[in-house]
Amino acid sequence: MKKKNVDIFGAIADPNRRKILMLLSAGALTISALANEFDVSRPAISKHIKVLQENKLVVINDVGRERYCELEPEGFKEIYDWIMFYESFWNEKINELEKMLNKKTKGSSKRKSQKNRHRR
Amino acid sequence: MKRDIRIEKIFHHRKEKIWKLIADSNMLAEWLMPNDLKPVVGHKFNFKTKPAPGFDGIVHCEVLEVIEFHKLVFSWKGGPIKKPTIVSWILEDIPGGTKLTFSHTGFEGFSPVAISYLLGRGWKKNITSLFDKKLNEMM
Repeated sequence: MKKKNVDIFGAIADPNRRKILMLLSAGALTISALANEFDVSRPAISKHIKVLQENKLVVINDVGRERYCELEPEGFKEIYDWIMFYESFWNEKINELEKMLNKKTKGSSKRKSQKNRHRR
Repeated sequence: MKRDIRIEKIFHHRKEKIWKLIADSNMLAEWLMPNDLKPVVGHKFNFKTKPAPGFDGIVHCEVLEVIEFHKLVFSWKGGPIKKPTIVSWILEDIPGGTKLTFSHTGFEGFSPVAISYLLGRGWKKNITSLFDKKLNEMM
């Protein structure tokens, strides 16, 4: 598969693409129905859809002659994972902060001398 | 709808001491990441950590607000986060210690889309209960 031109965060940074996702959050729509919601040209919308498709945010199903766009969970999971990542990151780090606070109270001078000893 | 990270914690320590761990570059490096922070509004600095796929290991920051011993706010941009997010530390005196209110906000770029999707359609997999739990915690 060829390299994506736009990564997932770039994909959702664009207002038109965000609008497409919003519209699709209510349910599947054909490309024509989506294009009708925009002032920009249909090829432009198709391009946006392609970027969303590449990032697994949208999947296209052919039903008869119509092409239906639908949201795909995989890409959203990647976005959500980032927030989850930061949430656990900060929780962990703030626990570290607490440990340091408690250590510093008990004997900060001891810690420092130990650290110096390790220095070469 | 916005999706923010908020953490509140009570410490049985004076806020001056906690402030030092948050606002002093060397102290901060000991528990967070190596950095060149100075608690001066407008100061631009970096956090440096191990690179990972899609992340060069550098977080770009700028100090936005400083109230000594009380409040430190800086922007946070790195990896896939193209628009700066905001990291904020607030310390308040309470009987017997200090209350820390931490927040990492401004994920507007992507969270509303993800959330409207999640609320509107639900996960197809079994992540729903986890999400509900997290959402309730956030509210």
